[in-house]
Amino acid sequence: MIAHRNQEPKKPERVVLLGARGFIGAAIRRQLDAQRIPTLAPASAELNLTEADAAGKLAATLNPVDVVVVLAAITPDKGRDSATLMKNLAMMHSVCMAIEKAGCAHLVYFSSDAVYNPTVSRVSEYTPASPQDLYGAMHYTREIMARGLSKVPVLVLRPTLVYGLDDTHNAYGPNRFRRAAQKDGKIALFGGGEETRDHIHVDDVAALTVRCLLHQSTGTLNVATGISHSFFEVAELVAKQFSSPVEVARTPRANPITHRHYDVTNTIKAFPDLRFIALEDGVARAHRQMTEEKS
Amino acid sequence: MQPVIGFAGMTHLGLVSGICAAEKGFKVIGFDPDSARTSALSRGELPVSEPQLPELLQKNRERLRFTSDAAALSSCDVVYVAPDVPTDDLGRSDLASIGDMLEAVFSATRDNAAIVVLSQVPPGFTRGKLRAGRILYYQVETLIFGRAVERALQPERYIVGCADPTAPLPAAYATFLGAHACPVLPMRFESAELAKISINMFLVASVSAANTLAELCEKVGADWSEIVPALKLDKRIGQYAYLAPGLGIAGGNLERDLATVCNLSDSYGTDTDVVRAWIANSRYRRDWVLRTLHGTVLSRLENPVIAVLGLAYKQDTHSTKNSPSIALLSSLTPFRVRVFDPVVPASAAPNPRCLAAKTELEACEGADALAIMTPWAQFAKLDPAQLAKKLRGKVVLDPNAVLNPAACRAAGLDYHTLGMKS
Repeated sequence: MIAHRNQEPKKPERVVLLGARGFIGAAIRRQLDAQRIPTLAPASAELNLTEADAAGKLAATLNPVDVVVVLAAITPDKGRDSATLMKNLAMMHSVCMAIEKAGCAHLVYFSSDAVYNPTVSRVSEYTPASPQDLYGAMHYTREIMARGLSKVPVLVLRPTLVYGLDDTHNAYGPNRFRRAAQKDGKIALFGGGEETRDHIHVDDVAALTVRCLLHQSTGTLNVATGISHSFFEVAELVAKQFSSPVEVARTPRANPITHRHYDVTNTIKAFPDLRFIALEDGVARAHRQMTEEKS
Repeated sequence: MQPVIGFAGMTHLGLVSGICAAEKGFKVIGFDPDSARTSALSRGELPVSEPQLPELLQKNRERLRFTSDAAALSSCDVVYVAPDVPTDDLGRSDLASIGDMLEAVFSATRDNAAIVVLSQVPPGFTRGKLRAGRILYYQVETLIFGRAVERALQPERYIVGCADPTAPLPAAYATFLGAHACPVLPMRFESAELAKISINMFLVASVSAANTLAELCEKVGADWSEIVPALKLDKRIGQYAYLAPGLGIAGGNLERDLATVCNLSDSYGTDTDVVRAWIANSRYRRDWVLRTLHGTVLSRLENPVIAVLGLAYKQDTHSTKNSPSIALLSSLTPFRVRVFDPVVPASAAPNPRCLAAKTELEACEGADALAIMTPWAQFAKLDPAQLAKKLRGKVVLDPNAVLNPAACRAAGLDYHTLGMKS
């Protein structure tokens, strides 16, 4: 579902990261820096995309050779209501207006797997988008806004659950489990943690994104490993990292069990030598980083 | 007196059908506007690979005449119009060539000759070509690549589309069909055209069900090969049912019918969600080898070398239309591959780093993994112990279970096949 405009990898002249201070944005920036690819990462204090003059400010910054990566969004932990939706759409409107005015060489829009119906257990890029909440609807609308830009090659990335040390969202999964185990010596599961999900390490998200930038890839790609684990398995993996015992506690189930698996064939076709960090290694890496940070 | 049978279009279908008609004792005129093609055939050179076909051509040369002159068809009592109908990447037919061929045949033949459309056409095509004073039929072709001769000599039945199914068939046509000693089912044009598609849809349904359940076997520890005999003993399913799991639908003909059904559904507003699910399942299963190879080798080794046996979309054919092997190779372009196929040249592989091996074992030499992509009979004779010696790695992907799984594992190979947990 993606095509490479550069068959051989070619460094972009400059990458403009909108949302570079976030969890994923920072990881991408680290990898771009490592490859000595120039980046511009305006902070929201300098460029508030919700403001009326944002499009003009951004357009004044952009060059036609720039690659623009859009990660900026108000995340669900900060609001799920219609006011948040409208702000998020206003942000994307600013980006699109700026690109229409100034042009760019490649636009990468970071969407979400929330564009899929959460009851669909197996997802590929062929799965029809069917968002069931305003957050998913927001991302899908922003995808359409991006694809509607004239003369700009667009890539939409739809990441699954992302984990890593610096995650601030603290959603149910490896990050919250690690923090809970550290703080309370206990990980509380929903029910028995039977639900399966695909967890991808933030460094893999960044690596895949950089590959797409180098190949100037276009289309739509899910960002997932293709291997799903139950939350119980994840909790056990996290607990194993601690030298003192960590209780993995079951709670009465309040919601039906749902599963999510990804068919990553299109990712393999696009990057056949791509390697993902195995969950056990990624969890261990995050734990090690946390320990190093504390000491 | 035996009728003279003409075949217009000397590609796979017309050629096999014509040679088999000669084998049944009929004098046959094989017409094709491509004089290079007919000259080659006159010299005994066949452009297609089918078991028994070279021998039958040689045996029946006296009854066979190949020509690029359409006027030769004037001596025929029955003329089959049988060019292969090309399809695009979406399986849509290009009917221009058969339309042109049919016009040429109408012009070249006598008014009392029975013209029979044999190529695969969508419902409504044949009735649209009816004209006053001419005799036109549509006959369902049952060609199976690799078994085309067997199917042409011993058909299960003839399905004949007619302008008026209650009217008797012309004597010459009836004589030719009668020589095959099988039931003849006359029906209206549209029924016959849709009958062909219906047959293929049932085959696809079987294959899709087999693939879906075989994948589940791979996860839950069941073995599909143990389940199949139980299914075949069920009369509602039957001993000839297509129950072998595979790498999706390939070859072009089934894809054409899937596309036709979807297009008709779109036009008439009927429900074909299940057909689109079969298409999606086929697309998914086609990449089983790539996914497994990625998990076992590509994501683990630096610069791996992959051996690929088989390029044709199935055994006993030269066709690579929608071949899973070609699809795999197009995804392996960053890697070195070593390829062998008994019929298809390695130049068909869309891979710049492809080495053409002369034998199966040469292809395996120093490779980190082996993928057996086409179930050629000769591959089944390969000794797993020898493979293990030639390969650098141990991974063997054998979706069609050409090799014996137990023997492979005994030889120390990391063996993967469809329908069985590895």
